[in-house]
Amino acid sequence: LPPPPFLSSWHPGVRLLEMVKVKPLSAPLQDIRNTVGNIPMEWYQDFPHIGYNLDGKKIYKPIRNKDELDMFLEKMENPDYWRTVQDKMTGADIKLTDEQVELVQRLQKGQFGDVNFDPYEPAVDFFTHEVMIHPVTNRPADKRSFIPSLIEKEKVSKLVHAIKMGWIKPRKPKDDTPTYYDLWAHEDPNSILGRHKMHVPAPKMKLPGHEESYNPPPEYLLSEEEKLAWEQQEPAERKLNFVPQQFRCLRAVPAYPRFIHERFERCLDLYLCPRQRKMRVNVDPEDLIPKLPKPRDLQPFPTTQALVYHGHSSLVRCLSISPSGQWLVSGSDDGTVRFWEVCTARCMKTLPAGGVVKSVAWNPNPTICLVAICVEQSVLLVNPCLGDKLLYGATDQLLESYKAPEEERVQPVQWVTATTEEHGKGIRLVIQHSKALKQVTWHGKGDYFASVVSDNSNMQVLIHQTSKRWSQNPFRKSKGLVQCVLFHPIRPYFFVATQRYVRVYNLLKQELTKKLMTNCKWVSSMAIHPGGDNIICGSYDSKLAWFDLDLSTRPYQLLRHHKKALRSVAFHKRYPLFASGSDDGTVIVCHGMVYNDLLQNPLLVPVKVLKGHALTLDLGVLDVLFHPTQPWVFSSGADSTIRLYT
Amino acid sequence: SVPAASETTDLSHLINKLLAAGDADHKYVEFDFLINGQFLRMPLVTHMEMENISTEEVVEIEYVEKYMAPQPEECIFHDDWISSVQATEEWILTGCYDQTARIWSLEGKSIMTVAGHTEVVKDVAWVKQDSLSCLLLSASMDQTVLLWEWNVEKNKVKALHCCRGHAGSVDSIAVDCTRTKFCSGSWDKMLKIWSAVPTDEEDEMEEAANRPRKKQKTEQLGLTRTPLATLSGHTEAVSSVLWLDAEEVCSASWDHTIKLWDAETGDLKSTLTGNKVFNSVTYSPLCRRLASGSTDRHIRLWDPRSKDGSLVLLSLTSHTGWVTSVKWSPAHEHQLISGSLDNIVKLWDTRSCKAPLYDLAAHEDKVLCVDWTEAGLLLSGGADNKLYCYRYPATASDIGA
Repeated sequence: LPPPPFLSSWHPGVRLLEMVKVKPLSAPLQDIRNTVGNIPMEWYQDFPHIGYNLDGKKIYKPIRNKDELDMFLEKMENPDYWRTVQDKMTGADIKLTDEQVELVQRLQKGQFGDVNFDPYEPAVDFFTHEVMIHPVTNRPADKRSFIPSLIEKEKVSKLVHAIKMGWIKPRKPKDDTPTYYDLWAHEDPNSILGRHKMHVPAPKMKLPGHEESYNPPPEYLLSEEEKLAWEQQEPAERKLNFVPQQFRCLRAVPAYPRFIHERFERCLDLYLCPRQRKMRVNVDPEDLIPKLPKPRDLQPFPTTQALVYHGHSSLVRCLSISPSGQWLVSGSDDGTVRFWEVCTARCMKTLPAGGVVKSVAWNPNPTICLVAICVEQSVLLVNPCLGDKLLYGATDQLLESYKAPEEERVQPVQWVTATTEEHGKGIRLVIQHSKALKQVTWHGKGDYFASVVSDNSNMQVLIHQTSKRWSQNPFRKSKGLVQCVLFHPIRPYFFVATQRYVRVYNLLKQELTKKLMTNCKWVSSMAIHPGGDNIICGSYDSKLAWFDLDLSTRPYQLLRHHKKALRSVAFHKRYPLFASGSDDGTVIVCHGMVYNDLLQNPLLVPVKVLKGHALTLDLGVLDVLFHPTQPWVFSSGADSTIRLYT
Repeated sequence: SVPAASETTDLSHLINKLLAAGDADHKYVEFDFLINGQFLRMPLVTHMEMENISTEEVVEIEYVEKYMAPQPEECIFHDDWISSVQATEEWILTGCYDQTARIWSLEGKSIMTVAGHTEVVKDVAWVKQDSLSCLLLSASMDQTVLLWEWNVEKNKVKALHCCRGHAGSVDSIAVDCTRTKFCSGSWDKMLKIWSAVPTDEEDEMEEAANRPRKKQKTEQLGLTRTPLATLSGHTEAVSSVLWLDAEEVCSASWDHTIKLWDAETGDLKSTLTGNKVFNSVTYSPLCRRLASGSTDRHIRLWDPRSKDGSLVLLSLTSHTGWVTSVKWSPAHEHQLISGSLDNIVKLWDTRSCKAPLYDLAAHEDKVLCVDWTEAGLLLSGGADNKLYCYRYPATASDIGA
């Protein structure tokens, strides 16, 4: 019979198990026996029976259908309730007898279960610890105790044989490699080891200054007004978050009322403040500058002053050059137009124009020898009679071959043929305007030219045709004070610069194509790249704007390299150069490469500052002009000279 | 051995002492010194450092008699800028911006004024000289070259031929060594070769249809002459022409090239490419080098026979403006003169390329032309209307070594 479960769990002693023998009380009533053996009874938990009897019938567990109330009633009413336990092996209730209860109580007290057992009996040694003169046994020693063992000999000879054959190495060299190893040997030294590496020390507290002293120097003490101002300030805006106070001695200093508050705030600061390592990017400022080529790699460009053209007696306002590059024409405030030989600075001709010459323009057509000159209210078309005789003869013939149309046409200007006296000076035609003129410019083909009148009406810009002696006013409305106009070198476009905008008109369709925002306050001059897709504008607020017409209506680049107002800008016809002249007396030459590849933006590099003109009346350079074939630039200045830089 | 810090004067003293020891009636002579063909212009040690000559070795110093400074002789006043000058043994011919060419004696006396051009005379040249009559040429901005005959005895000039054909100002002319042909270079990018032999026949010229006959008549001065050949190939104005020998013409141009042409066939033989506009070119048969003056500060020496394009042998740098005119010495293979826009004429020795031998700073304005005669006369004219003459003794006798 297996021991009662509560006992086996309570004490594993063998002797106890033998002593406690539970006799089932209900054995005569019902033959409930455990037929399954000492197995975990949980296996039968979900079944109504435990095991089978001899007949193969199920041995059922006693029916337990008492609810809590029944249990309680039984607990109250049954006097033996306290000594009733359930036998898990059979599932039946057993009432413990008095002896069993006593045994339980003894065991609970830690006493031996058997009442009669005396644990303190005197012990009797079976063998004495004392050595006696007579042995316990008198048996003689075995033979095997003094004869070497054969089995051992066999084993040894086997080992010896194995050593001889080299199967066993008797003195194996000791492995010296340390048994420990570097745990972090394969660790990446750069890897961030979590919080240890990312540790950011807490910000240090500011050390107290003089104003925190109990007896600060008087300059740290706030005056009445300062105190008032301090009180009116927002607490966050205050420079000091306390008012410095003075005490007679340290003993008189009261307890600091905000101490706990401040400690609390400090703690808040320390743990609430999100601290993060600032990833400072170490960038060399040099790398941020875009890579520009060195100026000396961009040769050729003008570098030194080569020639000075002396002759004018007042400021030289305007320049123009013959298409061949042999002759230069300049107009001045002294009322003359001078023609120069470029390579020797020789004044070949002087033409008294009878007024301030505001603008000159040599006809860009190489087969026509004609110069347009703006003098006060008229444009003079002058044949300078320089260069090929055939050419200037042909030009005269061309002008003479004009036949007036039969019906009179209404024109905004008057075309007058020059008198004989004027003809002798070279003047061929006079186009009289109603107001003073500002600028004249030729179309690339050399037949049309445009003139700008200083006026505020819609009559500011006029386009003239030389061969038909016909003028027209292209604009119905005035869009502002026109500064300068320009013909596109290839396409039928016409550029009109007002104070702040450049308007691009299509002359064929007679419509506005584009309006360029210059980002300048007052445009002074304008020049177009010979390719026709790029424009530069100089302005009186010392800016130079480069427009890429394909890119945007805003400047592609705005150069502010001049110190004073720009008076003039120019492009070179062949070399990738442009220049600007300014009131600060310098001409700045820039490399302006325009690529055929539409994806590549133009490359602009200032390459040279050319000095030479003396400042006169706060004016420096008034006009700049490039030689048509050589990388040379001309500049005319207020010091009544023209200079050539090569 | 000599002290390392010694300069040319010290060395000169030393040589003179040695010479005086050997020769009792020795007069003091100033010497110049050459080390490996380079003039010594600074203390010996500095020069050797610059030329990387080791002080351990024996350095051979060559000494030559110091070239005397050019002695100013005449200053001839003109009415206008002098564009060109060419002198012979007896006379000086100048071209002037007042549309005339002038003949002067060597003493500076005005002998003849050759007027006939309607524009600035850009270049002049002698063709032939006899005791009775001389032939001379003048090229002008009016696109013509006039061939004049100057009767010396009667002192009269007569325009023999008007060479027409250029479509731009004729900037340069050069007569060949046989004195029967000349070449002209013009702003119209062409070179033309003409006959320089006077004839009585007039060449036919194609008339431009729209040209008024009346106008043409007035221009005509002498018999019309048309070119024998036209050499085209330059892309910009031709600034200077010269003959290398009887068959070869050399031209310098604004298109940054010097071209060599075969005068017989008119073919381009070779091209020397620079990177600046050439103003002037000159050739020395003695050293067979071309010297060019351009719109930067340098005078460059070229070997015209070299095949591989641009080969600058040497740059002479001391001017501060455009070099307008260069001329080799006819007698000395190392020397040349140059005129520049910085108002200075410089006398160079190619053995001292850092500094010129002498600066002739007499002009008050741009120097436009220089010339060097076989008699040793240096001439320079410029924009200050003055023609300066210098006598330069040709001491070519190199003594000692």
